[in-house]
Amino acid sequence: MLRRALLSPPVLISLVVLIVASTLPLYVSGYVLGLLTIAYYFGVFSMAWDLLFGFANEVNFGPSFLIGLGAYTAGILDSLYQPPIALSIAAGVVAAMTGGLVLALPALRVRGPYFGLTTLVAVLILQNFVVVAAGLTGGEIGLTVPDVISISDKVNYWIALGFMGLSGAILYGLSRSPVGLILEASGQDPVQAGALGFNVVKHKLAAFLVSAFFSGLAGALMAFYLGAASVGTFIDVTVGVQVIIGAVIGGRRTILGAVLGAVFLVALGESLRPLGDLATFIVSAVALFVVLFFPGGLIGMVKGVREAT
Amino acid sequence: MTTAAPKLEVEALQKRFGGLAAVKDVSFSIRAGEILGLIGPNGSGKSTVMKSILGVERPDAGSVRVDGREVAGWPPHRIARLGVGMVFQHSRPLYRQTVLENILLGLLPDRLMDVLPNAATDARARAIAERVGLTGVLNRRPATLPFADLRRIEIGKAIARDPQVVLIDEPFAGLTARETASFAALIAEMRADGRAVLIVDHNVKSISALVDRIYAMHVGERIAEGTVAEVMTNETVRKVYLGGALETAARPEASFRDVQTPFLEIENLNVVYGKAQALENVSLHAHQGEFVAIVGLNGAGKTTLFNAVSGLLPFAGDIRREGRTLRSESAATIAREGIVQSPEGRELFGAMTVSENLDMGGHRLAGDARAERREWLFDLFPVLKERQSQTAATLSGGEQQMLTIARALMMKPDLLILDEPTLGLAPVIMEQISKALERLRQKTEMTVLLGEQNVTFALPHADRVYVLEHGRIAWEGDPSRFAAEAGARYL
Amino acid sequence: MLLWQILIDGFAISSLYALGATGFTLIFGVTGVLNLSHGAIMVAAAVAAWAASGNLGAGAYPAAAFGVAVALLLALSTYYLIVRRLQLSRAVREEEKEIFILTATLLWGIMIQEAIAWAFTNNAKTVLPIVDGVVTILGVRTPANEIFTALVCWATIGALWLFVNRTLAGKAVLAASMNPRGVTLLGIELKTVYVGVWAIYGALAGVAGVLLGMFLGVSSYSAGPLTASAFSIVVLGGLGSVSGSLIAAYVVGYLETLTAYLVSPAYRAIPALLLLVAVMYVRPRGLMGRR
Repeated sequence: MLRRALLSPPVLISLVVLIVASTLPLYVSGYVLGLLTIAYYFGVFSMAWDLLFGFANEVNFGPSFLIGLGAYTAGILDSLYQPPIALSIAAGVVAAMTGGLVLALPALRVRGPYFGLTTLVAVLILQNFVVVAAGLTGGEIGLTVPDVISISDKVNYWIALGFMGLSGAILYGLSRSPVGLILEASGQDPVQAGALGFNVVKHKLAAFLVSAFFSGLAGALMAFYLGAASVGTFIDVTVGVQVIIGAVIGGRRTILGAVLGAVFLVALGESLRPLGDLATFIVSAVALFVVLFFPGGLIGMVKGVREAT
Repeated sequence: MTTAAPKLEVEALQKRFGGLAAVKDVSFSIRAGEILGLIGPNGSGKSTVMKSILGVERPDAGSVRVDGREVAGWPPHRIARLGVGMVFQHSRPLYRQTVLENILLGLLPDRLMDVLPNAATDARARAIAERVGLTGVLNRRPATLPFADLRRIEIGKAIARDPQVVLIDEPFAGLTARETASFAALIAEMRADGRAVLIVDHNVKSISALVDRIYAMHVGERIAEGTVAEVMTNETVRKVYLGGALETAARPEASFRDVQTPFLEIENLNVVYGKAQALENVSLHAHQGEFVAIVGLNGAGKTTLFNAVSGLLPFAGDIRREGRTLRSESAATIAREGIVQSPEGRELFGAMTVSENLDMGGHRLAGDARAERREWLFDLFPVLKERQSQTAATLSGGEQQMLTIARALMMKPDLLILDEPTLGLAPVIMEQISKALERLRQKTEMTVLLGEQNVTFALPHADRVYVLEHGRIAWEGDPSRFAAEAGARYL
Repeated sequence: MLLWQILIDGFAISSLYALGATGFTLIFGVTGVLNLSHGAIMVAAAVAAWAASGNLGAGAYPAAAFGVAVALLLALSTYYLIVRRLQLSRAVREEEKEIFILTATLLWGIMIQEAIAWAFTNNAKTVLPIVDGVVTILGVRTPANEIFTALVCWATIGALWLFVNRTLAGKAVLAASMNPRGVTLLGIELKTVYVGVWAIYGALAGVAGVLLGMFLGVSSYSAGPLTASAFSIVVLGGLGSVSGSLIAAYVVGYLETLTAYLVSPAYRAIPALLLLVAVMYVRPRGLMGRR
């Protein structure tokens, strides 16, 4: 089963795409590289979200809660004490995973729209906290992260690409593995999953922690890349929206589609920037169009074409 | 095999839901290589018993022992790992995985870190697939498979870990006769393997050839236990399923005015739910002013039939009212034009009072006419008058049922469909409803379709009877001939 | 002195919250949809009224009416183009429809917000008030507009109450929120009920938006926070319970006003959020929630 998954078309295509992508710094401008770097981090955000939604069937409306925890913890530590970068990042990951635990607990007790609301509330609280504790966090202006991992466009790009590739491999592998099977069963029908001998609570909790791990790690890495952290880039509800939409229009439950969606959104947003305010309008309109007419997402569109021919 | 301790023991099991005692003092045991049939109508508590064994519900009192170990109160996954497998009534496979992967699910250990599958598990999954007859479709996805194969997947998952105890919920629902025989053989194999099997079902007949013993339940309690023959001839059981002595008072068919074109005609009705055939080639008719009883056990298809007539679900075949097809009309239109349902689920407006519910029913009548009609209904069901300012949710079951019927009558129907009006009601309430029906029959020109599993209640009101069994009409005719021809086979 | 000022200010803002939340909860209670374009529709109404009096020279009343009409139109569009399409879609599994509708209404809201920003810039705008001048109540100098706001909010809520409890159409709406199948069985087309409810919602959001525009002013940036606050109030009060929303609106409105006056305007949103967290953990279905 895993062997078949390893050699399946999606994986092969992804490998090819990764290889091509890694050559880009050789002939593409620094500006585009920068754009793609951000897009790759968003790709990881969306993949982590898809694991939780597509498999464990938990809708997280506030992915930026986990991302923000990762980014800000790493950023604050660095701006205060300048420890080794790896330490700050690790702290960010721990903070995000703790946040994931905090979100998971009510999730496993309440049903329906209430969990989604809890996640949304978490984002609002974090946002307000950051603004109010401005002394520590830089408030609405934002936080400066003094250390950098690298100043080269190319290196940062490769770091992001490599990280995304690795995360994608792990998350995708997880989703196609027996554990992923159990997770999907737990999400679809918890009663049946229990009757088959699976501790649904344990598996869902694990899913939360994995999602939090990758979200926090990507958030921390992105904070170091940008050299700054602000509410607008990491915590705002619009960030969460972008993550969710990226996963949904890429094709939910595919993990790989999330990257497609994230890159697509960033690329589209950027290419429309000259239009000013209209840019966001068009991006939203396109996303809405996909949601209404191609609920299977971009990957669904491709599959549809393949099945039709 | 006969002297060993029982594999599954249930003792003095009790479970309440709020004020309702769903299970009161249930005890039975099943040995290895034995099949026990747990039967009872809707509301008898058999599902609760099953859920209590599985750990989905926590019993309030009593004990559940698997191979001697007390498991009452354990979480479901621990009970499952101890050796209890369950075949659920509804198939819920993973749609994006193949049949093989679905069965593999039943073999996986409950570990977070078992990321890589191995060849041994794979081989076992294939072996199980072969046992349940799925070898040919191992690499197909559930969406492409027929209903029976989906059920086979469920059986495969349940026996994957070689459980000592297997629980099966309504094994033959939705299957054709041939598939039923094949599944019965599979279940018999479980017995041969030495497992203790519990089959839960409404219908004694469908499982009678398969089980060794039967435990019959009604309203949370045991009413009979023993061999199939013993239970089927037990007085109380027959009373619950068939009611008491059967009286009839039918009017001959020729006495109705519209003999040529009956008011309601149903021709070759076919309804499919997902993959299961819920109704197969059902044809029946009803004349204006006639009371037609459609008797059948739970799951026979009565509600499906009524919902098709009311336009609430898609169907193949034809349904005509006074010669005119109803096919393209919306459910609300059909109701407005006079075909009104008093549904099994009641569908009352819980937070509205009795009067408000009735007024909603009479929403198309002018103020005076509505008040008048309401008074007529208060006369028909006096207890509703007493409770007119009470909210529907606070009424007792019987009062709610009367409100449901009354609300439907507020619409001045030409055809009234009554779906299981007496289910779970006390005899006193049944009396009142019976009287009300009698008045309707004598005093009005209303056509009535009465869907009931309680034959004693239905027969005295019926001019003609249809017996619905597994989605097909099994018998039709005069009520007076029912006892002789169909009654014996009914159970 | 300060007490009266807090009391009056708090009352006005709470009434406005109440009206907005009532619409939001009505839609959820009857159709099950959490409309995330709520704030955008309110802002659109306000901006439309502002544009009508500014660019077209309309008087205060006609401009306000125009604003409400725009909200009505947007609400019905939301229903037909988005909600209905997704509810009837066969490409989406039943259990996923909720998230799709949520995402779609969110995107729609963003589209409306951005269209407003593009057409009219994202600067704050104030709608021409219908009522002018200052009134002195209990020793506090209060803009007459503020009193007007509170009165209109309550008049509208009152009208809604009358509609739902005293008219047959209104009772059909109430019945649909309790049991949609029951409504169909009584011969009432659910589709008609839904269109009616969305129209009413549009009117409510429109009135709330226009009043907000007159009272405090709006900008395209207000859309998100408006939705968020309606959302929080409705959750606090209990999803689907109108009376719960009303009570919660006042709780939140007063908490905010008290915080703004006694602590600092920057922290005004915090107590309500903390309350929301407490409710989420202790009683997730809210003060008066049904489910």
